[in-house]
Order: sequence, then structure tokens, then C-alpha cells
Amino acid sequence: MENNAASRISELELMATKIRRNVLDICMQRGGYAGQGVALADIAACLYFDEMRPDNNNWYHDRFVLSNGHDAIMTYGALAEQGSYTMEELRTYNADGTKVDQSPIEGQFGFEITAGSLGQGPSQAAGIAYAERLEGSDKRIYCLFSDGELQEGNVWEAAMFAGHQKLSNLVYIIDNNDLQATGATKDVLGVEPVPEKFETFGFAAKRINGNSIAEILEAFEEARNTIDKPFVIVCDTLIFAGVDCIQAVLPNAHYVAKASVDWQAGLQALEERISNF
Amino acid sequence: MLLATEPTIDKAPFDHISFDLCSRRKDVMLMSADLSKYTQIIRVKNELPDQHLDVGMAEQNLISVAAGISKAGFVPIATTFACYATRRAYDQMMICMGTGPKTNVVVGFTPGIANPARIHHQAAEDLGMIRAIPNATVIDPMDVTDFKQALDVAVDTPGLVYMRGHRGDTPVLLDDKKFKFELGKTYPLRTGSGVGIIATGHGTQWALEASALLAERGVDHSLLHVPTIKPVNEKEISDYCFAHDQIVTIENHNIVTGLGSLVAEIVSNIGRGPRITRLGIPDVWAPGGTLPYIRSQLALDAPALAAKIEATSHGE
Repeated sequence: MENNAASRISELELMATKIRRNVLDICMQRGGYAGQGVALADIAACLYFDEMRPDNNNWYHDRFVLSNGHDAIMTYGALAEQGSYTMEELRTYNADGTKVDQSPIEGQFGFEITAGSLGQGPSQAAGIAYAERLEGSDKRIYCLFSDGELQEGNVWEAAMFAGHQKLSNLVYIIDNNDLQATGATKDVLGVEPVPEKFETFGFAAKRINGNSIAEILEAFEEARNTIDKPFVIVCDTLIFAGVDCIQAVLPNAHYVAKASVDWQAGLQALEERISNF
Repeated sequence: MLLATEPTIDKAPFDHISFDLCSRRKDVMLMSADLSKYTQIIRVKNELPDQHLDVGMAEQNLISVAAGISKAGFVPIATTFACYATRRAYDQMMICMGTGPKTNVVVGFTPGIANPARIHHQAAEDLGMIRAIPNATVIDPMDVTDFKQALDVAVDTPGLVYMRGHRGDTPVLLDDKKFKFELGKTYPLRTGSGVGIIATGHGTQWALEASALLAERGVDHSLLHVPTIKPVNEKEISDYCFAHDQIVTIENHNIVTGLGSLVAEIVSNIGRGPRITRLGIPDVWAPGGTLPYIRSQLALDAPALAAKIEATSHGE
């Protein structure tokens, strides 16, 4: 059993490394939200390649709602491996006329809602969870949003609703990187303690290292075993985690311009790691 | 299509309209933000609890939870006062409901000056706000018949559908057997060759009152009811306008951005045409109080409207 667990983690670490590589490959074309995409690669690997159950149509039985649109880069990096997008398509990210939107609109493949007006994903995910439960479906609903987004009041209206309705099929995943557009979250408007705040709204909560595959898997399992409560995973992440040479230069990047970083050095490091798995 | 008899008064139209709809359509989810009692959702709440969802006093959540529910196979009808739906949750209406193909119906009650409280409860700009959203549908029904039929159409219309609702004493003016609501269609309620009156929602009720006074005085006029503010049938409206030298619009809405603005936009696109006099809330903070009082203060009571229309017919 221990070998199986180690093998599962190792496979997901390889997948996360490929997602990181894809994110750099996509963003090196014209810039983009590379730091978040790289930081969320471990969560994406676990979500898309372990936690969400596949359907019979090359997609997923469970549903993922992306709230903070700029983290779409994480999904693109994952869906390149899943097969729904080609890297050729994804390299048009951030180009005029592209169909690979930096912040997707409802209807773009892989995205449930129009993301990007922050604070609106948690309540739409709660609505989906409420309706799926009413229909007797066993689908689980996952929603990713960010710590800065916690400053939006709509998030807490959603949390109050989800807790009141005991939506145990709902999992909030918070990218808790202590960064928002203009500085550190704790300096702009502090949001901590995040798990405790959600617990008072009726959630079960767990703070984890969002760059640890083992901790992510454990949190998802705990969420699945939680009865009568929605679950929130507060994922402490670091911008560009897993690509040391870029992280050393841009540890707090919100948006990365094409010319501001040595993309090739990062790509080379990741390719070497992939070949050594 | 108007009833030949004196109009009857329905004291709680939405209670039976919503119950009838939810009984026929099990995919409809009737939602509220702590105003079920005040928008008269009683029977659905008590008798069809699986089709009723109250999210508490949180309108941004009402709209965005509803948008989530629509993405799981239901047709949500989110109800609250018009001011809260449109002003408090405008971004949620536009982004969560307005950008995708799923049907999302919002019914805004006590619109314009139909609320006795003042500025904070009066939505004088809701029609203009929502008609500025691409692909949205906007409906302002005039009576119980119009309201009921329009809601039936709304639940089968893709995208965001915003409707004004009626609560409390509401007249039944249209004959349910002769009137058939269609999106974008306009309805001539009186024909004539003098002043052409175009009205919507409560404004059509007020126009009918003024019309009766004008008829007594022998003032030639016609009346067109326009329940759909968007998508609008531009040809029907422009044909009507260009058949008159004087047009008067009447609406329970700010004259900025509402029906009057819409008619002026249509006529100006053609580049010539009748003079257009826009009557409604004249871009002021309206007073509170009973509806007759507020109408009298804004010169929207029947005698004031009739006088204005008659003066217009003389070119004043």
C-alpha cells in the first residue's frame, strides 16, 4: 500500500512538473499570469488527474468552477495534458483574437462560468451544488478562488448560504499566496485567519501547503469524508513554486511581462526534471 | 384585446401566477432574498417547497446562486424588489447571468414609483440599466394578463430575462383569450390619427386612464402598448411613430434611458419624424407615499397626463 501511495504521489508530481512546463511555454509567448499557474500546478495535477472523476465523454463527472479568471492559466496547463487543448492552441493565449482567453467567458471549453469579476464564483458553485444535490446527483463541486478575493462581500454571502444549506458536495479551494494586485494581502486588507473564518460560517476547514501533493490529496480525502458541511482547503502557495530560477527573480509577481524573465532557463530546468522522473 | 367589461382587481397576482407556473414546470426554481411575503410568494413556498429557495437578505448572492442553479438544469426565477435586483446586483446580473446561454429570469417588484418608500426603494432606472446589457431581454408588463403570459415566455428564453413584476391590487385589463404575449411585439390598444401615445408597464395603465379623459373631450389619439423593451421591434415602433406628428411616451421610469429614450433612439436612427414628448419620472428624486400622491406630485396622474397630451396635440 505504501508503495502504491508513493507511486501515486510520484506520478502526480510528474504531472505537476509537466503543467509547470506548459504554463511557462504558454506565457513565454506574450506574458501572462505565469507565477500563479506555476504555483497552482500541484493542485491542478491532483484535481484534474486524481480527484475529479472522469465521465464517459473525455471530460469529468465532477464540476470545477474557476472564480478568479487569471488562474485560468492553471487549467490551460492541465488541459494540455488532459487533451482538450493543444499546446499550439494554448500558445495563442494573450494574443489579439485568441480563443484562449486570459480570463475565460462562460461557454469556453473547460470553464463553467464567466470568471474574472472577483467574488462571484463561490456563490455560483454553491448554486450548482444545491441544484445537483436536489436532483439526487453525486457530483462534487470544486471552486478555486484567491485570498485577495476574500475581500469581496459576495464570497461571504456565498459562504453563509453554503454553510446554512450544509452543502457537503461543495469544496472551496483557496489560493492563499498573501498577494493581490497591489501588494501583500496582509498589508492591503488582511484576511486571516481564513480557516477559522470559514468554520464560523459552517464549513469544515483545513490549511495545507498547497505545493505538497501529499497534503492536497489528504485534504481532498478529508473533504470527501465530511458529512453535512461544505469544505474549504486553504492552500498556502508561493508564486513560481517549483521553478527556483524564476522564483528567485520574481517571488511576488502578479503579472509577468514577456521580457521580464529568462523563460528558457525555467523550461530547461523543468524538462530536465521530467526526463529524470 | 382589452376586456370589454370593467377591469377586475387581482389582489395577489404573483401568488397564483408563480404557483401555476411551478405546478406545470418542475424545473422552475422560485428564489427570494427574504421578500417572499412582500412579493406574494405564499403558495409555492408552502406547497411546493422544493421549488422555493430563500437565500436571505443578500441580493448579490441571490443572483449569483441563481446563475449557478441554472447551470445545473433548473430555470431560476430570482425575485426581489427591482431596486435591489438591478442596483445592488447589477454586476452579478450582467456577468453571472448575462454572458451565457442558460435561462435566468429576474423579476423586479415595486418598480419606479410603485414603492411607497423613497429613493432607496424606487427603481427608476432599472429598464435602462438592463437594456444596456447585450443579448438581455427586458419586459415591463401592463397588467395581470400581460405579466402571466410574459413570465411563461421568459422561462423559455435563453440568457438573462429581466421583468418588472406586479404585486398587490393589480388590474386585469387585457382579455386572456384575445391577447397573446410575444417577445418584441407591440400592441395597439386604441387607434386614431392625432397624438400617438406609446406606453409600457404601469405607464400603460396610466395612459389608459388619460385616454378615457381625452376621449370624453373628443381629443383624437391612439395608444400603443410596448411590453418588451428589449429586444424591440424597431419597425413596428417606427411605423407607428411616423404615422403621427406628435408622439408622447409614458412610463413608470426615469425619462432618461427608458421607453422614451428608446423611442427617440429608434426615430433618430431614421433621421426625421415626429416630435417626441417623454413623460415619466422627470430625472428627479421622486417623493414617497401612496402611488396616487406620488403620481400627482410628478404630474403623472390622469388629469395631468391628459392635459399634457391635449396640449401636445395643439403643438404646445
